[in-house]
Amino acid sequence: MSSNQLYFDDVAEGDTIPEATAAPSELQIFFFSAATNNGHRIHYDLPYAQTEGLPNILVQGPLQAALLAKLLTDWIGPGGRLTRIQIQNRGNAFPNAKLTYGGAVVGKREEGGQLLVDCEIFEGDESGAVLMPGTATVSLPRRPGA
Amino acid sequence: MEESLITPEAEAMIGKEVGRQTAVVYPKEAQRFAAAVGDLNPLYFDDDAAKAQGYKGVIAPPMFLPQVLQGVTQLEALREDGVPIEGGSDVPVKAERLMAGGEEYEFLDTLYPGDAITAETRIQNVEEKQGRSGRFVLITRETLYTNQDGTLVARGRFSLIAR
Repeated sequence: MSSNQLYFDDVAEGDTIPEATAAPSELQIFFFSAATNNGHRIHYDLPYAQTEGLPNILVQGPLQAALLAKLLTDWIGPGGRLTRIQIQNRGNAFPNAKLTYGGAVVGKREEGGQLLVDCEIFEGDESGAVLMPGTATVSLPRRPGA
Repeated sequence: MEESLITPEAEAMIGKEVGRQTAVVYPKEAQRFAAAVGDLNPLYFDDDAAKAQGYKGVIAPPMFLPQVLQGVTQLEALREDGVPIEGGSDVPVKAERLMAGGEEYEFLDTLYPGDAITAETRIQNVEEKQGRSGRFVLITRETLYTNQDGTLVARGRFSLIAR
């Protein structure tokens, strides 16, 4: 198995998930709208977004959520599985703004033959505000020979 | 005593099925989604990498799941803001604004490109809440996603805030 695999045995409550960053550009936001068949003008039409009182177009909530899920799937490696994710839309994210993704392990358990790790996760902006808090559970393999 | 924001009609929606549809997961759609996220995970793009982990081939990104049911949008069916007219709440509530509250997915089995997914949506709950800026109605829907073999692949819960 590849060296980027995370094992259940190597995770402890209180561990932090290595942080990741992203800064979706107008182009990425456009492509995400295209990939999700989303015509909502607030994601590409700045004059329209301003009529709704927004200072800029918005990063889509599902893109923010998918970037949070990526944090987890990158962390756990190919032999792990995301089994649950729960997120709340709390704040707007704008194009080209640096977004930080992170989290921490809050528990470990064995259930139904699966080795599960419960996490708290977040997306934050540069001011430190949490835009999207959440929780997640991942299933991990046991370290070979452990 | 203030009048409830939840009408008897809205109350009667609790537990009701409000949607059922089946759609096929197109491989390119799932990969376009992953690419637009900037998530080039080999499990989504490389059959051999996926097979090495015991999958039968490339898998769809978990967060692609709700996109499976995207229909074909007709331009004349769009509102001024670019959202399809039927988008919104099917629960009758007295509210000026609808906002996304939160969502939760339980991924119970693998979603593969090529799967035919049937999604059944029910209104799970309609409840009045007290927030910092006043009362609002929280509408929670639950969607069960089942594949062509009858396997429950995922469960999704979506909440809408009506205020």
